[in-house]
Amino acid sequence: MSLVRKGRVITLVGLVLLAGVYVRALVFTPVERLQGPAQKIYYLHVPAAIWAETAIVLVGLAGIFYLFLKDPRLDRFAEASAEVGTVFATIVLTTGPIWGKPIWGTWWTWDARLTSTLLLFFLYVGYLLLRSAITDPTLRGRYAAVLGICGMCLVPFIHLSVYMFRTLHPQPIVLKPGAPSLPASMLVTWLCSVGVFTLLYIGFVTQRYALSLQREAQGGSGA
Amino acid sequence: MPDVPQNSGYMVAAYLVTAVILIGYAVSLYRRTPKA
Amino acid sequence: MAELLAQAWTVARKDLVLEFRTRTAVLSAVVFTALVLTVFNFGRDPTAVAATDLAPGILWVTFTFAAMLGLNRAFQLELENGALEGLLAAPLSRVSLYWGKLFANLVFVGVVEAVGLPLFVLFFDVPLGHALLPLVGVMGLATLGIVTVGTLFSAMVIRTRFAELMLPVLLLPFLIPPLVFAVLATARLLSARPLSEALAYLKLLAAYDIVFLGVATMLFRYTVDE
Repeated sequence: MSLVRKGRVITLVGLVLLAGVYVRALVFTPVERLQGPAQKIYYLHVPAAIWAETAIVLVGLAGIFYLFLKDPRLDRFAEASAEVGTVFATIVLTTGPIWGKPIWGTWWTWDARLTSTLLLFFLYVGYLLLRSAITDPTLRGRYAAVLGICGMCLVPFIHLSVYMFRTLHPQPIVLKPGAPSLPASMLVTWLCSVGVFTLLYIGFVTQRYALSLQREAQGGSGA
Repeated sequence: MPDVPQNSGYMVAAYLVTAVILIGYAVSLYRRTPKA
Repeated sequence: MAELLAQAWTVARKDLVLEFRTRTAVLSAVVFTALVLTVFNFGRDPTAVAATDLAPGILWVTFTFAAMLGLNRAFQLELENGALEGLLAAPLSRVSLYWGKLFANLVFVGVVEAVGLPLFVLFFDVPLGHALLPLVGVMGLATLGIVTVGTLFSAMVIRTRFAELMLPVLLLPFLIPPLVFAVLATARLLSARPLSEALAYLKLLAAYDIVFLGVATMLFRYTVDE
């Protein structure tokens, strides 16, 4: 089975299971008393955030190995992970405000997670822009690796600085979003969602990787 | 006991947006990659 | 180690001599800083917000602009003089090359900040008092962080299309953490809080500097070598 096909199958399975998660979350998971139905956004928002952040760490790690091993497969993977990470970050940045509006009363507050994801998004966009601005594949791989490694190292500082800034400027929080400990039923839904997003990440990255392969085969220096 | 807030509109919106993004990206990948 | 530093100094000195011979770049950067501070004054309503509330933010946005200017001019210099190729041909360690460029950039930005700070104090009537020395410490640490990553990225961006646009786009996300730490520390210092409160932020700035100085030193050779 070719790589493209594998990727497509995994993605399809992921999307079908996503529908399952949707049903479970919307119909079979209890409504949270304080936040109401809007709290269910949590089941999509958080798994997306987990992968948005994991993806950039993987980009950084791939970068480190690429600089040592110079294996183009690592660079292709990094490119794929960056693009998929951007998609997941977009989900976080759209579901976040939609959740925030009924809970906090405003579309955007500089909440720690949203702000961190925003910075993450900028890192991803910068990474993809850098890649698109270099035509020579070896140079592109090297420079992307350097940027990816720096981005990965920045992530803990992003969290630190956003946290420090936040505790100084308390947000007008009406209700506390997200419960520290979920009751069993909600936890299961959340875990299922994390599993589905994981599957989707793998499926997307596989396809995107195959796309890079194809572009290299066709035009020499793809994008 | 306070009422549960009636904000399911937002829930639907978020679930819709997420589905659009994920399915949209899947379709984009499908169309960009070659015949398997 | 001594050899590395000596080489770095050679690199730095070449840049600095070029820089201060004409003085145009430094003067322009200083004037720019003064203008930015002036613009900030008109950007706020003095009856609504006290200067001391905005002061830390204003100071650090201004310094960030100054740093970006300094970095931009650094690679303009490269483009014009093609100096980079010459340097690479020389038997210079890549680490010294990086440290040399870093030092030259630091001097440039340092000069601009040295003029900018008194101007800032003047324009916004900010009493410094005992906060001066710690504030200089904050400035040193934060500027080091900014210029460390900036120098590394400048080396990359030079070989890409749309270089002048690419540098800020790539760099700004990296500047936010040191900026946040610097602003929070400055706010503490300017409101005459005890030094211990600002100390936490100074440590975070130092941590940032150590991490990125290390990472950039190790990665620099990949931006110039095959």
